Parts: sequence; structure tokens; C-alpha cells
Amino acid sequence: MGFFFQELVNGITTGALYSLVALGFSMVYGVLKLLNFAHGDLYMVGAYIGFFVIQWFGGPSSLSIAVPLLLLIMFVLAGVVVGGLGVAIERFAYRPLRDAPRIAPLITAIGISFFLENAALLLFGAQFRVYNTADFISLSSGITIGSVTIDSVQIMVLVLGLLLTVGLRELVNRTKLGKQMRAVAADREAAEMMGINVNFTIAATFFLGSALAGVAGVMGGLLFNQVTPTIGFIVGLKAFTAAVVGGIGSLPGAMLGGLLIGVAESMITGYISSTYTNLFVFALLIVVMLVRPSGLLGQAQLQKV
Amino acid sequence: MSLDSPPPPAGPPPPTGPQVGADEWVARQAHRREYLPSWLGRAQRQAERIGWWPRLALAGLAAAALPLVGLGGFQLQVGIDALVIALLAVGLNITVGWTGLLDLGYVAFFGFGAYGFALVSSGQVGTNGIHLPSYLSIPLVMIAAAVLGLLVGLPSRRLVGDYLAIVTLFFGEAFVEFTNNVAPNTLGGPNGIVGIDPISIFGHQITTNTGYYLLLVVVLVVTMAVLRLLEFSRTGRAWRAVREDPLAAGSMTIPVDRVKLMAFAFGAAVAALAGTIFAAQQISVFPTDFDTPILILIYAGLILGGAGSIAGAATGALVIMVIYDGLLRSPTDSGYLFYGLILLTLVVKLRPWRRLGLVLGATVALGFAVHAIAAAVSARAVAGSPTSTGWIGTAMHDWVIVPANAAVAGNWGFVALVCLLIALVQVSSRTRTILLPPTLYLAAFVWETRLSVEPAVTRQLMIGAILIVMMNARPQGLLGQRRVEAIT
Amino acid sequence: MKSSMIVAAAAAGALAVAGCASSSTSSTAGGATKSCVASTGMEGPLTGPVAVLGQEQLHFAQLAVLRDNLANHTKITIVQGDTQLNPAQATTVTQQFTSNSKIVAVVGPAGSQEVEAVGPLMARAGLAFISGSATAAALTTGKYPTFFRTVSKDSVQGPQDANYIINNLHPKALMIVDDQEAYSTGLVSAMMPIFQAAGIKVDHESVSQKLTDFSSLVAKVTPSTTVVVLPWQVASNAQQFGRNLAQQHKKAVIFGTDGLFSPGTFSINGSYVSSFGPDITALPADKAIAAAALAKFGKFGTFGPPVFAAQHVIDEAIASVCKSGQTPSRANVLAAIKKTNEATTILGQPIKFTSSGDVVNGKFFLFKIDSTGKYNLIPG
Repeated sequence: MGFFFQELVNGITTGALYSLVALGFSMVYGVLKLLNFAHGDLYMVGAYIGFFVIQWFGGPSSLSIAVPLLLLIMFVLAGVVVGGLGVAIERFAYRPLRDAPRIAPLITAIGISFFLENAALLLFGAQFRVYNTADFISLSSGITIGSVTIDSVQIMVLVLGLLLTVGLRELVNRTKLGKQMRAVAADREAAEMMGINVNFTIAATFFLGSALAGVAGVMGGLLFNQVTPTIGFIVGLKAFTAAVVGGIGSLPGAMLGGLLIGVAESMITGYISSTYTNLFVFALLIVVMLVRPSGLLGQAQLQKV
Repeated sequence: MSLDSPPPPAGPPPPTGPQVGADEWVARQAHRREYLPSWLGRAQRQAERIGWWPRLALAGLAAAALPLVGLGGFQLQVGIDALVIALLAVGLNITVGWTGLLDLGYVAFFGFGAYGFALVSSGQVGTNGIHLPSYLSIPLVMIAAAVLGLLVGLPSRRLVGDYLAIVTLFFGEAFVEFTNNVAPNTLGGPNGIVGIDPISIFGHQITTNTGYYLLLVVVLVVTMAVLRLLEFSRTGRAWRAVREDPLAAGSMTIPVDRVKLMAFAFGAAVAALAGTIFAAQQISVFPTDFDTPILILIYAGLILGGAGSIAGAATGALVIMVIYDGLLRSPTDSGYLFYGLILLTLVVKLRPWRRLGLVLGATVALGFAVHAIAAAVSARAVAGSPTSTGWIGTAMHDWVIVPANAAVAGNWGFVALVCLLIALVQVSSRTRTILLPPTLYLAAFVWETRLSVEPAVTRQLMIGAILIVMMNARPQGLLGQRRVEAIT
Repeated sequence: MKSSMIVAAAAAGALAVAGCASSSTSSTAGGATKSCVASTGMEGPLTGPVAVLGQEQLHFAQLAVLRDNLANHTKITIVQGDTQLNPAQATTVTQQFTSNSKIVAVVGPAGSQEVEAVGPLMARAGLAFISGSATAAALTTGKYPTFFRTVSKDSVQGPQDANYIINNLHPKALMIVDDQEAYSTGLVSAMMPIFQAAGIKVDHESVSQKLTDFSSLVAKVTPSTTVVVLPWQVASNAQQFGRNLAQQHKKAVIFGTDGLFSPGTFSINGSYVSSFGPDITALPADKAIAAAALAKFGKFGTFGPPVFAAQHVIDEAIASVCKSGQTPSRANVLAAIKKTNEATTILGQPIKFTSSGDVVNGKFFLFKIDSTGKYNLIPG
């Protein structure tokens, strides 16, 4: 039984990470109908920023400031910088293609993905940058229930993920900006005619979505310790999967999709075999998609005639 | 109160973006197609007068004649790689371009064809292996791939758009996992299958690169011809109808589900054909040959060339592969491409001529000035030498600063360059003219100090930049047409 | 405007023509009266998911060329080729090298699959190629007459490590995880029969090399599993595995093969690592090289030094060809490489090649990592 819960905890933690990235992805998709393949690379940039913040303050084993303050600075800085980067990318690469067929920005996104990954390789080198979280957040600081250990980093990821998801939901449902986002997502031309500043709304959406990816990057660095230029690719792919399986454009769906993928991976590795983990996860997700063709929480798409 | 008559009303503002009543189908029927501006458009119309079939024949002959002109081993290999991707792009065009189904697992059919051929035409299966002759194995593999395409397309009956894309993505990923981890004794695992038989046409075995190049040219031309015939058949029209409006197509008695399955099947068959030739030419297949990077290349080629157009798919793929696999692998050619593309963009975009001359002159002057100042201030600042060889290097030597600590300065310069480029897009025209000379100088600086030192990384950076710029410049692709898309 | 387009086209054409013309008549750097000028190729995964390995190999090759040029008064340059560990790309890069008549020898490729893909091409061109990391046993069965390697093969390392584990660590149950690459699966298939014959319960797992989180896998380590064998190439992943072990309070000991040999990256206390060569930072003869590498490129692992050795072999071969008055060509450099007989190299061992390309008397050393992260050689 302990084994089951241990795998469950592992799965929910990784799933929370995927959910955060999937949330940002889903936000951008909802507003622009754009599959942003560069989203995973924003995660990677966030992870690097977190690493450099640690180095700036003395390195993992000899920090010059308190750990909570360090974490705060890491998250805020990564969020802001990656958010800004997202806005710049949107302005530079996606805005000219707003009226083009949907498949055109796909290639632009791929180009940006190439560019970001290899710019990181050029600037930071190929070596694995290591957070060494265990040096400043002790491994024994966590909860142990029976044979199940939950690390304090895992707890932080879960709590922060939950807070951010709830905060995002409040933002989208209660604030004026959220209303603008929903309007632009529903019908961009009508929103423009209603006096909504579409450019600003889209930029704000990109900022929030990219900031989420950046924060998720720092969390990923803390959890998995290793940062290289290519970590974003797999995470981006999983986020894309999570967002679609959960229902495109639905924020709770993206979260659910991420959790589903994380838990499925964990359980299948634990109970069946690690060799065929990916194959079984794919099979499971295909079944889910066939049972619910619009995703878990997606709305059935109306076909306008 | 003025008794003057009001000024004549200004004409309608110039159109931007898709317009009501001006979509592709109508325009095509009314023969009012969109042509490129000025002399390019005139060239296009001339080319059209020649007709599609003669153009295909000419292109095929030109491509086949290239080895006679004298291509080295490397260029032949690049040509082979480019032709394989072109064949794949032409096949993907059926699913993505004509039927509008986003198939992200297409590379799995390519792999299926390659592995299928590897299994039936090598020593892998059984004690001595099955060594089917090519005229049996290739059609067999293509038919099997078409069946697989039907199976993969089955979810398309329930799933649309991006949901279908995800499921096809799963199949694509699953193929790589499958061939890497399942049945390692038969499929070879990560070690793949080696020792594949060469293709034999009418008893003659093809073992040289020239042979495979010519075979690929012939196969590509024949495939394009067959697809052209298909394009104007009932099936082709049905595919395009399903792309534009599945509901209306269904109301017009087009069997939408069956049409989608056929798109998958045909696309898979073409991909498998490409796979068999690929396997025979490489003499070995490995799981990593069929991973996501190849999918990205096929999509880039298809969309850059113009999705929906057979010639566009082939052209785009050839252009991308020749640049990526050929030109960018050589540091000197990369340098020419880098400087050449910058100059070309300036010449095309910067008007009037006086402004262009002003910017170029200012850049040159700025360069010499900065170099002189830096040399006067600190010897270390100009201690290095430009990494470009040949005449570019000698020209650059007294113009661009290459400090002793090139890597760090180059990195900062790179970041500054990216920021400047982003800023250039946002500012007004006059500020842009002022910012251009420093940006150009910075670009040369970054190239000489950092980018040409790392040719492998620069190659990826440049292909990314080329993709971004080309999509911004022409979103519909080189030979594509602007379409109005009804997004629900 | 018609005229502007014509001018633009003419300008571009003039640039291209000038470029081609002058590059074909570019003069070699004059100066030295009788300088030994040659080019060597370097194939490796310089970008992509395992860029860390290829970049390390490239840096060490560049370091070797720098030092050898100074010592032998040669002018050897490296031409890079990026394969991303993909055999099809390796074929293209190899075609590029074989078509370039200036290239007389090649270092790389890094992966055994790539060697299988390019071996026939290299043989046809008579181009010698030395790999610093392709360890599959099947490569040196005589199929590839121009192939050499400076590391020993899986069929030596696998059984040696397996027997050590059985005889010294006495596990009742162990877990062996491969990373779905040819190097890893080759070692696993060499070790598994030996474990099974000794009656040990073996849990064979498999994860992708791109995976960075092993908590689900570590949860499967039972209390009776005392040894986890990780024949991986990416040392950093093994370090993360070790962290996950500690986090979940598992007591298993990690046993790694030469891919994990990375002082500074993999430093889990109590782990064992086997390697084809000793830690070069601990060898007094290599102090200068190690210091130069650390200063220029930062931490390095196990992939750089063998490539340094391979490049050095090629450099010495070219120098000896020049010394005998000939111009370096593929044929005479290949012959010189076959005659290589270095008493001592960066790897702390002599290098002499067998007729099929292996290093003569290649053996593996075993190290145990202590609490400070230092690799201590286990004698015997």
C-alpha cells in the first residue's frame, strides 16, 4: 500500500509541474488558437534563470541569503523575465501572422524553439547545470507517513501549483482582464468592436502564460536538479498533450490533463514496467481521447454553418 | 459655412488580411489568382503559360542532369536527403495540405516503410533472412503502410483538429519507442537493422549514390505526376471540400469519413515508398532516424513551400534541406548565407535607394570609427582576428572588433543583438533608420567573435531564424495561395 | 520596381561570384618554409539532447590539436561535423568529410550505431577514423578496416563488472536499468547472463536517456535490492537517481560503468564506477592538460580524454608522415596510425592498436567514491 501512495505522490508532483506548463499553453491557445511549440523552451529559460540566481547568491552550498528569500527571488525573477520574453516573442513573431492560416505560426513556433534552445547552448554551454537542491533544502526535511516520503520540495511544488492555478482561475473569472481574455478567446473581431484593446489583452495573456512556464521551470530545476538546453522539449510536448487531453481552452482541463499524465506515468512505471511506460501512457491517452473526443473537460465544438 | 463642394470621398482603404468574397476557390475559378508583385508576378504568369506538366518534366530533367555537371559525394548525399524529404512533404501534403488534417505522426509511416523494407529485404528475419526482390517488397510495404494509415486514421471519425493531431502524435512517438524497445531480436533495438539489400530495378542493383539520386528523382517526378492526376479527380475535389467545410461536404453526399481515411492511406503509402528508398540507400535503419526532428523538417518544407500545392511541397522541402543539410554544414557557406541574407533583406525592404545607401555607408563608417577608437583605447579589445576565412575575413579585419576574450564579449553582443532586433520591429521608421547601422555592425561583430566559432550551434540558430523570417515574410508559403480559414 | 530588382540580383550575383572566385584561389597561410598542413574531421553530437558529450569531445580534440601543433610545429585544423548521435546525419557528415580531400583522418563518431552506419563509407574512402566512445564489441570484428578506438569494448567491461559485483558485493537482488541506447543495452546483454547464472534476482528496467526524474523508478527499489547497476552515458542522470534514492531513504548502492565516470558530476558516496582509464586529474603527468581543460571548458567527465588520445594519435601520425618528407594523405596517415605505439598517453596507459582496431591490453579500472566525491582506485 505504501508503494502505491509513494508512486501516487511522485505522480501528482510531476503532474503538477506539467499542469502549470499546460495552463500557460492552454491560455495562449485559447486566445490565439496557436500551438506554441516554443512554450517548453520558456520553461527551460526559467530553469536557467533560477540556476543563475542561486549562483549569484553564492551557490547551493554557501548561500548568502535565507532560503525562503532565495526561492521568492527565483520565482519572481523567472516569472517576470520569461513573461517579458514571451511578450517579445509574440510581438516579434506571432503578431504578423495573426490572420494567416493556423498552420503558419506552427512553423514560426518551431523556428523560435530552435532559436531558443541553441541560443541557450551558445550562451550557457552544453554542460548540465545543477541546482543541487539537497544542499540548501535538506532531504530529510519533509513528511514521512509510514513508508511514504514526501520531500519538502515536492510539497512546495504542490502548494505553489495549487495557489497559481486557483489564482489564475480567479483572474480569468473575476477580473476585468480575465473577462477581456475570455472575450478575445471567444471572438476576436467582436471583442475588438466592443472596445477591448486586443493587442494588449493578447500580450497580457502571453505574459501570464510564459510567466507560468518560467515559474514551472524553476520548480523543475528544484525537483530534478538538472538544467540543459533541451529539457524544455519533452516538457513542452507533455504540456501540449495535457492541454489537449484535458480539453483545449479549458484551464481546469489542462490541470487535470497534466495530473493524469503525471500519475499515469508514475503508476505504469511502478506497476507494469518502466520499459514500456511511454507506450502504455500513449495507449491510455488514446483511449481517453476516443471516449471523450473533445478532451476531458472540453466543450464539444460547435460546427458553424 | 462653406459653399464649396465637399472633397471627393477617398477610395476604400487597401485590404489587409482575408476578405469576404475574395477567397481562394472563387478567385481560382475567376482566374483572378494572386501573383507576386512586379517582375516576379510576370515571371509567374509566364511560367503558368508553359503549363504544369512541361514544368515538371523540365524540373525533373534538370535535377537528373545535375550529376552529369559534376556533383561531389557530399552534394549527392545532400541531394538524396533533400529528395527523400521532398517525397515525404509531397505525401504529407495530401493529409495536411489537401484534407486539412494535422497529422503529427507522419514520420511513423516513413519509419514503417523503412523498417518494413529492412525486415523483408535483409538477413534479419530467420536464419538467412528474407531477401524479397525489390519489385515485390516495395509494393508490399506500401500496401501494408496504407493499411496502417487506415488504422491510424480511424480516430479521425470521432476527433477533429488538434485532438486528432494529438492522437497522431502518440502514434508517431509510439513508433520510435516500439522499434527501440520491443522485440530487440527482430527489430534490432537501438542497434537497428544493418545490411539491407540494395534496390534492384529490372535486375540492375543500385549501389552508388548517383544511382539512388537518379532513382529518387524519377520516383519523385512520377509521384508528383500521379498526385497531380489525383488532385483534379473526384477524390482530390472531395479532399479539398472536406478541408474547407466538412459539414457542407457531407451534405453534398461526400463520404467524409471515408475521404479522411483515404487521405491517411495515400499519405502513408507515399511515406512508405520514401522509407524503402531511404533504407536501401543508408543500408541500415535505426529508431532515431524517425524521430521528431525529421517530422519538423518535413513540416517546415511543406509549409514554407506552400501547403496545398504539390510543387510547393517539393520546392519548399528541397530549399530547406539544401540550406540546412548542405549550405549550413560548411562554415564558409554559412558566412556567405549570413551576410548575403542580411544584405538581401536590406535591399528588398529598405526604400528609397538613398536610405539604403545612407544606412550601408553609415555602417561602414561606424565600423571603422569604432575599430579605431577601440584600438586606441585598449590593445586587448582588438587582439583577436575574425574567424571568417577568405575575402570576407580580410575585409573584416580592420572593420570589426574582435577582442582577446572573444567568447564573453560575443555572448553579450548576441544578447544585445536579439534585443535590438526585437526593438527594431517596434519603433518608428526614422528611429529604425538610426538604429540600423549599429545593429548591422553588432551582427557582424557577433558573427565574427562567436557564431562562426561554433558552426554546429550557428547552423541550428540560422535555420530557426530563417524559418521565423520566411514565415513572417510569406505566411502562405513560396508557392502557396492565401486562404481564408473559417475558425470556429 | 523592375530596375531595383535587377540591381539587387546583380549585386547578389557579384557577391557570390567574388566569394566563390576568391575562396577557390585562397592562399594557404604562408610564412613557414616547410610547414605540415593538414585537416582532420571531428564528428560528434555537437547539438541536440546529448550535446554535453559531443561538446566535451570537441573541446578535448581542440585542446589536443593546440598542444600538438605547438609541440610538433604542424598546422593541423579541425573540421567539425554535427551528427546529433543520429546515424543518418552521421552518414551526411561522413560524406562531407570524404568529399573534402584536405581531410586525412577523422575523430569520431561517438555512437556505435553511427560507426555501423559510416564504416563502409570510411573504408571506401580509405579514411582512418578513431572513436573515443564507441564501445560495441561487434565493431572490431574486421568489418571496418579503417576503424580504431581508444577505449575498450563492452565485452570486456560487462563481464568484468558483473563478476566484481557477484564476488565482492554479494547482492541477493539487484536492479539494472538501461537508457535505451546501444551502449547501455550492449552492456546489459553482456551482464545479465552472468547475474542470472549466479542465481541473483534481477529487475531489468529501461528508461529513456532524456528522462530526468527517476522517483517513480526508485520507488520500485525494494529493501532487498542492494545494488543498482546503471550502465548509462549521462552521468548527471545517475546523480539525480542517487538523489532520488537518498530522498526515498533507499539503501541500494549504485554501480556505474565508464559512462558515469565524471568526478564533479557523479559523486554519490559509496558508489562504484568502472572506467577504461584512471581519473586524469589524479595523474601527475596530466596535470597541465587537466588544468587547461578545467580552465577553458569547466568540468569534464569521461568522454573528453579518450578523444584527446584519439586526436593525439592522429596528430602524431601526421607529424611522423611530415617528418619523413611526405605530404600527409589518407593512405600514409592510415598506415602511420596502424603503427602507433605510444608508451604513455593522457589515459595513463599505452596505446597500440590490434589489427582489428582495438586497443591492445585494454582493461578496466574500478573506483569507489568516498564522501568527499573523490574517486578512489580499487586495487587489483
